[in-house]
This record gives sequence, C-alpha cells and structure tokens, in this order.
Amino acid sequence: MAKELRQIAIYGKGGIGKSTTTQNLTTALAENGRKVMVVGCDPKADSTRLILGGLAQRTVLDTLRDEGEDVDLANILRQGYLKIRCVESGGPEPGVGCAGRGIITSIGLLERLGAYTDDLDYVFYDVLGDVVCGGFAMPIREGKAKEIYIVASGEMMSLYAANNIAKGIQRYSENGDVRLGGIICNSRNVDREPELLRAFSKELGTKLIHLIPRDNVVQHAEINRKTVIEYQSQSKQSKEYRALAKKIEQNRKFVVPKPMTSDRLEEILLEFGQIDELENYAI
Amino acid sequence: MSAVSKRVSNKAGNKNVQAHTQTNSIVHPRYGCMIGAAYSVAAITRGVPIVHCGPGCIDKQYFILCSDNGNQGVGYMGGGAIPSTNIGENDVVFGGAPKLERLIDASLKIMDGDIYVAFSGCSSALVGDDVESITRPYQNSGLPLVYVDAPGFKGNNLIGHELVVNAIIDQFVGPYKGRKKKGLVNLWTEVPYFNTNWRGDLIELKRILEGVGFTVNVLFGIESGGVSEWKSIPKASFNILLSPWVGMDIVRHLEEKYGQPWVHFPSIPIGEESTSAFLREVVEFAGNDKEKAEKFIANEAKQYYYFLEHFADFFSEYWFGLPSRFAVVSDSAYNIAFSIFLADQLGLIPVKHIITDNPPDIYRDKIQELYKHLSEGISSEVEFIEDGYLVEQSLKAADFGSGAPLILGTSWERNIARELGAIFLEVSTPAMEEIVINRSYIGYRGALSLIERIYTPTVNVF
Repeated sequence: MAKELRQIAIYGKGGIGKSTTTQNLTTALAENGRKVMVVGCDPKADSTRLILGGLAQRTVLDTLRDEGEDVDLANILRQGYLKIRCVESGGPEPGVGCAGRGIITSIGLLERLGAYTDDLDYVFYDVLGDVVCGGFAMPIREGKAKEIYIVASGEMMSLYAANNIAKGIQRYSENGDVRLGGIICNSRNVDREPELLRAFSKELGTKLIHLIPRDNVVQHAEINRKTVIEYQSQSKQSKEYRALAKKIEQNRKFVVPKPMTSDRLEEILLEFGQIDELENYAI
Repeated sequence: MSAVSKRVSNKAGNKNVQAHTQTNSIVHPRYGCMIGAAYSVAAITRGVPIVHCGPGCIDKQYFILCSDNGNQGVGYMGGGAIPSTNIGENDVVFGGAPKLERLIDASLKIMDGDIYVAFSGCSSALVGDDVESITRPYQNSGLPLVYVDAPGFKGNNLIGHELVVNAIIDQFVGPYKGRKKKGLVNLWTEVPYFNTNWRGDLIELKRILEGVGFTVNVLFGIESGGVSEWKSIPKASFNILLSPWVGMDIVRHLEEKYGQPWVHFPSIPIGEESTSAFLREVVEFAGNDKEKAEKFIANEAKQYYYFLEHFADFFSEYWFGLPSRFAVVSDSAYNIAFSIFLADQLGLIPVKHIITDNPPDIYRDKIQELYKHLSEGISSEVEFIEDGYLVEQSLKAADFGSGAPLILGTSWERNIARELGAIFLEVSTPAMEEIVINRSYIGYRGALSLIERIYTPTVNVF
C-alpha cells in the first residue's frame, strides 16, 4: 500500500532561518527512517546546501535552460545526507525575468519527470520570503503542499511577514485544502519571545509548534556545510530539531488562519513584545 | 444632392441593445492588440518593426489587420515577415533581453530600413524586460532605433498606434526650436492597415489638401516621403486630426512638444458637401489664399456633380429593391463618416450605428453627439459593442422596414446580412472577402466609388 505523502511548505521572512530549519528538520525525520525530498523554491538555490555539503547542485532551471526540455531526473535530483533527495528550482539572475514563473516551471517539470515517487513520506518546499506573486504560491496550490509552517521570531518585521503569509494561505484555503500547521519560532532572543509568539499564534488560530533556541553551533555547522545533526549529533540543538521533527510528525491540527489587521498586530507587539523596565537594560 | 428624407427621427432599431453593452467574452475580433501597432511602423516607408513577444502574437496581428483585412499584402516590410523574438518559457523565467538584443543585431544586418522600432509585448512587459536600456546603446551610437512598451493588456492597436507615433516623435524626430514652415501640415487620420482603405484614403486626402495650397505630411504609405518627412513634423505650422478619437494623444503631444496648434474634424469627409466644407475650414484655420482654394473646390465640385448627374437617372428611376434604411457596423472613424454620407447625401434612413473599436469612455459622449446631427433634422443613436453575438442580436432587433436593408460592416456581418436579405458591403476590420489595392470611399472621388459599390448589387442580382 502506498504511504500517505505529506507535502509541507515552509514560509517566512527572508533571513529568518527557513532553510536551516528545514534542513535540520528533514535530517531529523530521515534519522527516523523517513523518506524525504526537499525542494528549494528560492532563486538563490541555497536550500539544500547543508544536506548536500555544498552548493554542488545544478538547478532545475539552469538545466532546463542549457539542455532544453529533454532533462533526466538524475541531472537535477541529488541525494545528500541520509539519502535525503534534494532539488533546487533555481531562478533567473536578480533583477531579470520572472522567478515566480520559474518556480511554476520547475515544479511542473519535477512532476513530469516522476520525482514524486510512492516511497516518499515527506516533500518539503522551502520557499523564499513571502508569497509575492502567484509563482511563489505554486507549492500551496491545488494538489501540492497542504501543510504550511511559518518560521518566525519575536522581531516585529518577521511577524508582519508571517501575518502576510497567513493572508496568502487563507486565500488559497478558500478553494483548496491548504492549511496552516503552526508557527516555528527560530529564536532571536528578543524580549518575551515565547509569550509573544504564543499570543501571535493564538491570534492566527494556530499554535506555536516549537521554539528553537538560538545557539552558535548552528553557525558552526553552516560554515562546515553540515546540518547541526550531522555536525554535532549529540548537541542540545540537535535535540531541539529532533523535538521539532517529532511534533511535526505528530501534528494533526491544521487550520485556516485568521490573519490580523496591522492595528491588531501592533497591539499584540505592544502587549508582549517588550520588557517593562527599560531602565534595567544594560549592555 | 440634398437629403431626400428630412425630419425623420430614428425611432426604429434601438429597442434591445443599449449603448455600452458588453459581455464578458468577445466573439468576432474587430481590432488587433497593442502590438498590432507594429503595422503602423510597417506603413512608414522603409520602417522596420521588431517585436519582442511570444510566437504567434504578431502573426495574429498580420491576419486581423492585413491579410484578413482586404488582403493588403506584405510589400517591402511587414506582412508575415516582421522580426519577432518568439519568446518562450525560458525567456520568461530568465528574462528575454539577450534574445531581443540578438534579434535587433540580426535585423539591423538583414532588414535594410531607415527606422527600426522595437516593441515589447505582453510576456516581456510582464516580466519587466528593460527594452529601453537595451535600445539606448543603439540610439546613442546613432542608429535609428525606437522602443515602445506595447503590451496587449494596455489597450488595443489603436491606442498602440498613438503610442508608437509619440515614441517615434520623442526618440527619433527629437527636439526642434526652429521656424515653422507656412503651408506645411501634418495629417493624422486613419490607422494604417486597420482602416482597410487607408492607402487610397491618404492619397485622396493628400490630393485635396494640396489642391487648396498645403504641403502635406501624410507620414504613412506611398505618398509619404518616409523618415525625412517624419523629421519635418516639427516644422509644420499645424496638425490636422481627422478622426473621432484616435490621434488625439498625438496632436496633444505635438502641441506640448513643438507648440503646434491643431484642428480637429471628428468625421472624415465623404462627398462634395462635407469635403468642400472640410477644406474651407482648414483653409480658414490656416489663413491660406481663399481664392486659390475656391478655384480648386469649384473644379472638384464640377467634376463630382457631373458624375452624380448621370448617376441620378438611375437613382431616381430604378424602383426595384433600392435600399432605404441602413446600418453601419465598424470602427468609429469609418462609422461616423459613412453614417453622415448615407443619411445626409444619399437620403437613407439611419437605423443602426454600432461602433466596435472600443473608444475610451471619455470620447463616447462626444461620439454620440455626432450622431445627433447626421443631417438636417436627422438624429440617431449609436451603440458601442465589441462582441459579435451582440452585434448580430442588435441587427436582428432593428426595424429595416419592408425593403432590403443596406449594411456596411465587416466579414462578421456577412451571415446576418444574408439572413436579413441586405445589400452588404465590407468596409471595416476584418474584411476577408475584399481585395483592396488603392481604393477609397472618401473625399470627392472616393464618394463616387462608394456609390458604385452600394448600388451595383441592386442591379447585379443574378
């Protein structure tokens, strides 16, 4: 019997740590024997660097550009750490062309080439910053990822972006069964971050799935082109990613988000987003 | 000839379809998309359009504007041989700029022209290909290359015509501070290729304006001096706009850029009365020698009525199946021109006027106003419809009385005209069943040809 494939899209403000989180999360899932594919949907094509041990991969679009329609799956799909399958959609040079159309082309090609095999447990789409146009909504269109997680931190702009992404999800949930699975906090150590993120998630109608603490080992691992789990398997941070993986595996609560108005978002920030006694602040 | 039927108010024919009616779909296209303005460049002597759009885009324009429209042919440049990047998915994703550059280089080598105009179409405009920065180095090195942003979603080929003319004025003709040349005028009227008889019409218009003392920049077609004529646009003492709305942006632009005044005639003149009136007004506006003009007009009138006198025998004596009521389905320029001539000069009863070129809303009330005075005591209503189904419904609902209606329309009206037993003439885009060489239905001479075309079917019944 074919397993049920869970297709998951990870969104969040640029630079928030989507790719790092996705790669550590998928590594944790693969440790448990899950078959995983990661599809990088960012023109920068850096979504699978840690799993592959470097930017060694040709992107789907580069391959398509150079070799035309006659592309072999082996040219664009590579297996990395723990046999995680990695694909980078790639995109045009910054400032030209249409990256959104690139995502659509790329995912279309993956489907045609049969990348979605029956043995897969998970496909993760690591999508850039925001749902800026129809192309970047491709992973959450009909028949693709039904679960979305938003990576956020206690920083104001990341919550603005998360709220905006929730609007996109709400829109697509009207005609399909795409749902929000929760918020992943990639901590920036801002004031009262857990409370703020919990309040924010609650307001959206979802939950804070997990709070990943800030830890320098992540940077060390990145410099060494590895996920934390591969770099220091027994570190505290590795356990955090494993905990996240477990929670996502067990998560059954998927909602149509209720994005808030800017005013309401500001209210929540005022309420939770700062400590009371600024005078005590010391460098 | 004066109007035969005076003070007939048109109650017939306005029962069902209201003005401004539109459905959410259009059958029977009646104009091209913005990139169809490439044909305005093809109409400039030794002008070379270069289009940056998907495969098929310019081919569709070729059919609707050129081959399925009087079979107008290719000539030196144009037709189905316009250079196109034919961009595909890769160019959309990665940007189509390099392909356009290659095409421009290749076109400059292969197509021997005096002016080149690069058009960006829908897909290249959507992904933001920077056509301006691609063309600038060519311009800086002195090559006569103009760019125009012409995606179809900005409007149809008529809006595109205005855009490309203004782009050529800005990027090729350039600034001018010198003196104006008395007697030199720029003529802005029909849209080349789109207005099926544009070649013959421009010849007639140039002939009559020269007859009353002007030197005329017609800018398109065989009567134009090509790019040197375009370069002399700023020297003209004024602009003549002979069209209900297309070209308004051109004359306004020229007024702003070169301080040129303009005189506007919304209706292209057909027949002696309106042609002579048109010429007198232009002469008056310019302050030209009236005596010389009157001499020309008198001579034209003499010829015109000589022929008409001989036609009058047939017109008054032949009783079998002459049309008395008419409908016109066409773009606005031809529509108002034909409607006035048929109502005012042939004395036919106006029943339907369906304008199909989607004039911008700001012009619609003014266009409607023109139909209030088709002739003395003759007023009619106009409908703005683009969808062929609704055009047919509107014609079906019209009351053409007991005789054969006269319908001036497009190929799309052929079936309904047959159903209504009409005398039918294709006068507007598309005109697939017509061969057009240098024909004209306007001015003094064109009017007589139009009469021939209208009345020949009444005797040619076998």
